[in-house]
Amino acid sequence: MSVTTKASQPAVYNDSVVRGFAVMSVIYGVVGMLVGVIIAAQLTWPELNMGIEWLTYGRLRPLHTNAVIFAFGGSVLFATSYYVVQRTCHTALFSNKLAWLTFWGWNAVIVSAVVSLPLGLTQGKEYAELIWPIDLLITVVWVSYAIVFFGTVGIRKVKHIYVANWFFGAYIITIALLHIFNNLAIPTGATHSYSAYAGVQDAMVQWWYGHNAVGFFLTAAFLGMMYYFIPKQAERPVYSYRLSIVHFWALIFTYMWAGPHHLHYTALPDWTQSVGMVFSLILLAPSWGGMINGIMTLSGAWHKLRDDPILRFLIVSLSFYGMSTFEGPMMSIKTVNALSHYTDWTVGHVHSGALGWVGLVSMGSLYYLIPRLFGQKKMYSVPAIELHFWVATIGIVLYIAAMWIAGVMQGLMWRSVNPDGSLTYTFVESVKATFPFYVIRLLGGVLYLSGMLVMLWNVIMTMRQGRVVDVPVLAVNPAHA
Amino acid sequence: MDVLYLLVPLSVVLVFAIIGIFWWALHAGQFDNIEREGERILRGD
Amino acid sequence: MNYPQRMNEAVTAPPVGLSLGRSLPNDPAASGRDEQTGEGAAVPSLFGSHRGPLTVTDNFAVLDDPVEQQDFTEFSEVDGRQVAESVLMVQGMYCAACADTVECALQNLPGVQLAQVHAATRRLTVRWDPALTRMSSLAQVVGETGYRLLPMQQALSISERLRETRRALWRLFVAGFCAMQVMMYAWPAYVATPGEIPPDIDQLLRWASWVLSLPVVFFASGPFFSSAWRDLLRGRVGMDTPVSIGILVTFIASSAATFDPTGPWGHEVWFDSLTMFVFFLLGGRYLELKARDRTAGALDSLMNRLPEVCERLKSDGAFESVSVRRLVVGDVVRVHAGQAFPGDGEIRSESATVDEALLTGESHPIVRTRGQAVVAGSFNLGGPVLVAVQRLRRDTRFAQIVALMEKASTEKPRLAVLADRIAAPFLVLVLLAAAFAGWYWWQIDHGKALAVAVAVLIVTCPCALSLATPAAMLTSAGALARRGILVRRLQAFESLAGINTVIFDKTGTLTHDQLKLQAVRTRDGVDPAHALLLAASLAQGSLHPVSRALVRAQSDAAGGDHVPVRFTDMQEVAGQGMQAILSEGGQLRLGSAAFCGVSGGATDEVDGAPQAHLADSQGWLATFELQEGLREDAQAAVSALRALGIQTWLLSGDREAAARQVGQAVGVDHVIAGATPEQKLAEVVSLQTQGRRLAMVGDGLNDGPVLARANTSFALGHAAPLAQAQSDYVIQGGEVMDVVLTLKLARSTMRIVRQNLIWAALYNMVSIPMALIGWMPPWLAGLGMAGSSLLVIGNALRLTTHVPARPSDTLSGMGLSA
Repeated sequence: MSVTTKASQPAVYNDSVVRGFAVMSVIYGVVGMLVGVIIAAQLTWPELNMGIEWLTYGRLRPLHTNAVIFAFGGSVLFATSYYVVQRTCHTALFSNKLAWLTFWGWNAVIVSAVVSLPLGLTQGKEYAELIWPIDLLITVVWVSYAIVFFGTVGIRKVKHIYVANWFFGAYIITIALLHIFNNLAIPTGATHSYSAYAGVQDAMVQWWYGHNAVGFFLTAAFLGMMYYFIPKQAERPVYSYRLSIVHFWALIFTYMWAGPHHLHYTALPDWTQSVGMVFSLILLAPSWGGMINGIMTLSGAWHKLRDDPILRFLIVSLSFYGMSTFEGPMMSIKTVNALSHYTDWTVGHVHSGALGWVGLVSMGSLYYLIPRLFGQKKMYSVPAIELHFWVATIGIVLYIAAMWIAGVMQGLMWRSVNPDGSLTYTFVESVKATFPFYVIRLLGGVLYLSGMLVMLWNVIMTMRQGRVVDVPVLAVNPAHA
Repeated sequence: MDVLYLLVPLSVVLVFAIIGIFWWALHAGQFDNIEREGERILRGD
Repeated sequence: MNYPQRMNEAVTAPPVGLSLGRSLPNDPAASGRDEQTGEGAAVPSLFGSHRGPLTVTDNFAVLDDPVEQQDFTEFSEVDGRQVAESVLMVQGMYCAACADTVECALQNLPGVQLAQVHAATRRLTVRWDPALTRMSSLAQVVGETGYRLLPMQQALSISERLRETRRALWRLFVAGFCAMQVMMYAWPAYVATPGEIPPDIDQLLRWASWVLSLPVVFFASGPFFSSAWRDLLRGRVGMDTPVSIGILVTFIASSAATFDPTGPWGHEVWFDSLTMFVFFLLGGRYLELKARDRTAGALDSLMNRLPEVCERLKSDGAFESVSVRRLVVGDVVRVHAGQAFPGDGEIRSESATVDEALLTGESHPIVRTRGQAVVAGSFNLGGPVLVAVQRLRRDTRFAQIVALMEKASTEKPRLAVLADRIAAPFLVLVLLAAAFAGWYWWQIDHGKALAVAVAVLIVTCPCALSLATPAAMLTSAGALARRGILVRRLQAFESLAGINTVIFDKTGTLTHDQLKLQAVRTRDGVDPAHALLLAASLAQGSLHPVSRALVRAQSDAAGGDHVPVRFTDMQEVAGQGMQAILSEGGQLRLGSAAFCGVSGGATDEVDGAPQAHLADSQGWLATFELQEGLREDAQAAVSALRALGIQTWLLSGDREAAARQVGQAVGVDHVIAGATPEQKLAEVVSLQTQGRRLAMVGDGLNDGPVLARANTSFALGHAAPLAQAQSDYVIQGGEVMDVVLTLKLARSTMRIVRQNLIWAALYNMVSIPMALIGWMPPWLAGLGMAGSSLLVIGNALRLTTHVPARPSDTLSGMGLSA
């Protein structure tokens, strides 16, 4: 488990790849959220589809989801996982070449997505819309990612593997598995294929994938981020390191089988749905374990929240995480799901997790990371961070409140029957009733996007006044490993 | 639900894989000295 | 055998008997670290200023002695160079950062290749080059950071213990993961309506469950089978017998149903009940192991002492430092002030002032002259003394006391292991009942027969029963540990709850181990403060208890600001006092009445309280009245005990007057004084014969035999290690009130134990008939077992509220947990 350093030069961390991904993530964040705002506007005012096929809602929605999850989220994860693994293992990346391959490869994937999705080229599977050639590229990039990451862990200079790396490692492996199995298909041409699975079987596999994309890509991986950046920013160790390890094993295990809760009251057999429901409920415990562990890290130092907006981003993200991981199991109960399925409540749930947890923890981590990548102690403007925090938070609250109300309202309207058994409301009546909430949601999204624009400005200013420095790898005295 | 012929055996394999990884971690001493590892990242750097 | 090394060698650190929890001094400013330091800047470590709590002045030369090194060092050859690997214990660690400090201190030293501290066991492993450095140097450096390195005794047993716990965790993990996955496969069968699941899918799920049950049955359940097998070979039925049978029957029946669903074994499978059952059982055992590790680790830190070293006279007249173990009869050794005599011997110097607390328990200095005997383990209070060694090790008086102690403990009234006595017939009954039920139902319905037999075996698993007692006791032990009270044997809770008498030692237990200045009488025109200053200045260099008391009183009064008075020609006259010439002329004497030439009825003792006199050229100057300071909470503790209906005794080796005085001050019911260790033991035995159940509270080696013999015993934190080793409870903070607290907790604990046992019994009484009749499917049996276990544990957890946290505790201040 030790490798002698080459030659006589002191080794430096490979932060240039980290820098690349970090900066791109902010840009992709703006792009993804902008598309989000556009489609929210289109839902509110369908005229905004403008008859241009590449700009219709149907084509832009998957662009939005892919951009925010994979372009924004993915880039943040690449940046932070490369950063964290190097520093916790006290070694530079296993292979600079492969790391750069992942950078260019991932960006190529994103660009292809930006091109193909508005053109209507899609597999029709949620969060797995990209057509098969792009899927192959993703596989190549992902395998390289795995080699770089696990290779770096393999050449580490300290014996213990910090818990964040366990989360990152699990997410890398799981996503590889999920990606491959869900995208098994038989191509018919360069841009089209048929899924290897059919009908409700396909649905089962799809939502095994879909929920695990959420569970591993959007949860486990970002928990890894959280377990590093919160202690670093708060300058305190994780509240209970032991709990973090137990939390890890419990989480990765239970997440795997919650998928069927997406398919309640569908053609999926009842008993399969029940399995999904039960395991989604069980999932509550490990999720909250992680949340408590993260928040309690501040125990004894709550005053830091007053003055440090970055810490606020990180801690508030955990509150949203807790909220979403409570709401989720509740919604997976069949009776609740009977009301919520297909309504905007689901959208609200997704976005409380995405904007509240994933978004805020990414922002907090990037605000920690970016100055350091440019030889600075702080971002160019701390008041701007503060502004971003408040704008984003208000945006989130508006968004999810609007969607909750709309969702419950829709569910109630759709199921309402008259004494003679006929439906009380027509579908279009529920659409009309939803309108004001779409406006509010749009406003929330605009606020969230503005916050991201403030961040982009802040990042550019920080880059301009900073300079790129090589950071030597922190040597670990072998006596101390 | 024929896809279960894929998913169920896959899950069995996964459980064994996870057990194997845990075995490695335990015997490689990953769970020794837990109390201190949480603080290690705060040093230097 | 370890002699007490030095006087008052109390560890001044926060209680070290607690495992390490999270901690960081909540003071980033003190760490000198910037808020958001950029990369590349040299940042001082967050732990740069972290230090240990001890003031270490030991001479570590003995660690270089090859004979001693054998115990804790292994030598090997690497690339032609010799490499040593040593395992030592770090004393004084109280948080995780301490480990960093020790490692950092060592790693930068030349010759050190590896330095690793295992926080939970306080174990240091250091690999070093004997050609470049010495063990004593390493220990010296660590000492400067505030921690003391000691050779770790029982290093091997600790490794073994850790290995065992690791194995238990491994089994638990395997069982847990498999159980969860099997539960998932089993769930559909419970929720689906009959026929909803296609038979091939049903079969797939069973196969998958079977595969995942294999590791659980053939690996994780190992301990149950091996223990049941051992019992079987001895012709006994133990707790693990029905467990093992249950597991096997369940597995075999379920496997048969899987391979041949239409066969005679029916088609019910119970892999989920089986795996869950094993998981919970293993969980309980794992928790017990962890708790045992914690307690054992805490006690290890108390038991380790520096090997004794002393100076032996060589033939050429010089002295050499040797380990005490190398002494032989006939050697002449030099014993310095404050050191213990390494063997029984004859004084070769003019005289010696010794402290024989070892025998009497009371620190009154005794003067012995040339040719008289000194006893191993007693302390030298005066200047360096030459002693010819006559008896060593097992032959010494010290050893005789220890032997007495060990003998007493084996004759201690043994508590019947009730569970074992009742369990065997109960379990046989259970097995018979299960067999009968199985046979009965077989006539009616094969499948049901198995289900019933399995349910009976699972439901009768005495989990709740076996958890009832340990859960409560472990919780209490943990709660006490957080307060600084260590519990050495869990059974002691039962003993303590049943006592009706408490026996206290006097000195060091009810009183502080030190004299306190009570009053100063001076001749006209002399300021008492000035008299005290003179006396204290004169007493500076003396180890006599009276001198130390005067010095303490002076520094308390003055706050350490005063400059001591200067003298010339300072002399200590053994057994009499100190004298010196003042700078302005004239003699000053401090000591006994005779020595100071004080007449007119002045004595050295009034009602057992010592007095010292000060005289100058003009005659009597002042008299200092001293007293053994009563512990502040001693009286309150004794009253509290009497309020609980407990009789209290004072058993002391000191003189009648002194003992009576203290006895009256605290309010005990009976006082016995002047007892030797043998007499103390006899007294206790006679009380026990009268039917009294006693708890003994003591601190000295002379209390050892009694501590071992009493129904239960407390040792105070500063007590001799051997006394601590024999006591059931160690009160590290030394507060007598903690005895009352522990007693109350013991009673609560037994109450909870009884509640748990009643619950477990009721549960069994209700569920066994239900299982026999066939009203209990196996899954419900498993669930019921898990539920009742959790209930028992939950009930036990209530005990944590019975022990209040100590407000001024360093621990809570640092946010530590045990």
